[in-house]
Amino acid sequence: MATPAGDPAAQIPATTPAATESGDLGAPLYIAWQVTNECNLACLHCIEESGPGKAFHDELDHEQASRFLEQVIDLEVPYLSFSGGEPMVHPRFFEMVEYVCSRNGQVKIETNGHYLTPENCARLKALGVKAVQVSLDGATRETFNRMRVRGDFDLCVDGVRNLRAAGVPIEINYSPTRFNAHEIGAAVDLAAQLGAYSFYTGRTMYTGNAVKTWHRMAPEEAQYGPFFETLHRKTEEYRGSMRVYFHEMGLLEELRYRLHHPAALLIVLPNGLVKLINALPFVCGDLRRQSLGEIWGRFQTAWQDPRVARFVDDLAVDPRKTATLHQWVYL
Amino acid sequence: MKLAKYVKFREEKFGGVLFETRSEKVYTLNPTATAVVREIQAGSDEGSIPARLKERFHDTGEAIEREAIAFLAELRQKGLVED
Repeated sequence: MATPAGDPAAQIPATTPAATESGDLGAPLYIAWQVTNECNLACLHCIEESGPGKAFHDELDHEQASRFLEQVIDLEVPYLSFSGGEPMVHPRFFEMVEYVCSRNGQVKIETNGHYLTPENCARLKALGVKAVQVSLDGATRETFNRMRVRGDFDLCVDGVRNLRAAGVPIEINYSPTRFNAHEIGAAVDLAAQLGAYSFYTGRTMYTGNAVKTWHRMAPEEAQYGPFFETLHRKTEEYRGSMRVYFHEMGLLEELRYRLHHPAALLIVLPNGLVKLINALPFVCGDLRRQSLGEIWGRFQTAWQDPRVARFVDDLAVDPRKTATLHQWVYL
Repeated sequence: MKLAKYVKFREEKFGGVLFETRSEKVYTLNPTATAVVREIQAGSDEGSIPARLKERFHDTGEAIEREAIAFLAELRQKGLVED
């Protein structure tokens, strides 16, 4: 028997599952499934260009989705997130969550918070979801409603309160814009007051709807200084009660790191295509034609494809290449 | 003793991984640590685990026992197990 010296449970320096390298793992540790591209809102910054009537014409049908979830369970993928679009508008949302939770899978829901009625929150609690992450991009209804087109700040906050009342662990996600970046401190405070245990934010990405709205929505570079300074301060202030996560690193640095250290994370699109990472256009598999195991096998080699490194190099010259992330490139 | 509510374990060729989904931390485990987790999952008494591993791995010294004891303490300290 091998008896490696030192710490037997050597912790990979990770702040999120996405930061864990895929290495020799037999399956992903985390699958982020965009259940549908349909959404009740049409947010200015939405990287998926989701919105009313924006469901893909070829989204996984019931049988395909069921087969995918069976494989998630069979491969013992420990963590699955349901996102979108808005996952809660999917007609089989609860049925699918129940399937995974009842087979000992851990599920996180990423939602805009507009369907978090007391009844739905109680149901999520009963199913045993690990967490619900709510997008709350503003500490006031003025900024939130401006960014979340068709959105309602009060409804969203009430939804978070309903989660808390039901006892569902809460995470808050915040995307900065030029008109809400100054509220970051108040937004972190609001998240803590609402009972969140985690707060996530980072730089807003130039892709999806943001390409069309960038001129009126994107934070000025000068705003990021005080934005991150506040986050450093809030991290300390809430240490022990709420974790404040933020990615100060730009996208380019992140991608350069990933080229050599692919994360143990698969991004599954509503139509079953599997991306290397959300911030690249490259697709390494199709769940309608390949098994999850096969796709995981291709994942590592796909990262080594020269087109991936070339795209990242090109990003250094032209950061606006992220506008093409939805023009999928099959590896 | 059992794995904490939000802790998932999966065996791998190199040993195993523990994934604490609440703090979102991942721990890679060597074969000794993996064997400890298997014992925990099987419901073995905490105090008996080091000796069981020593026997299973035919260890004539004390290395395995020491490693198992240290790992069990680490699991507790990191909140990865509960009673």
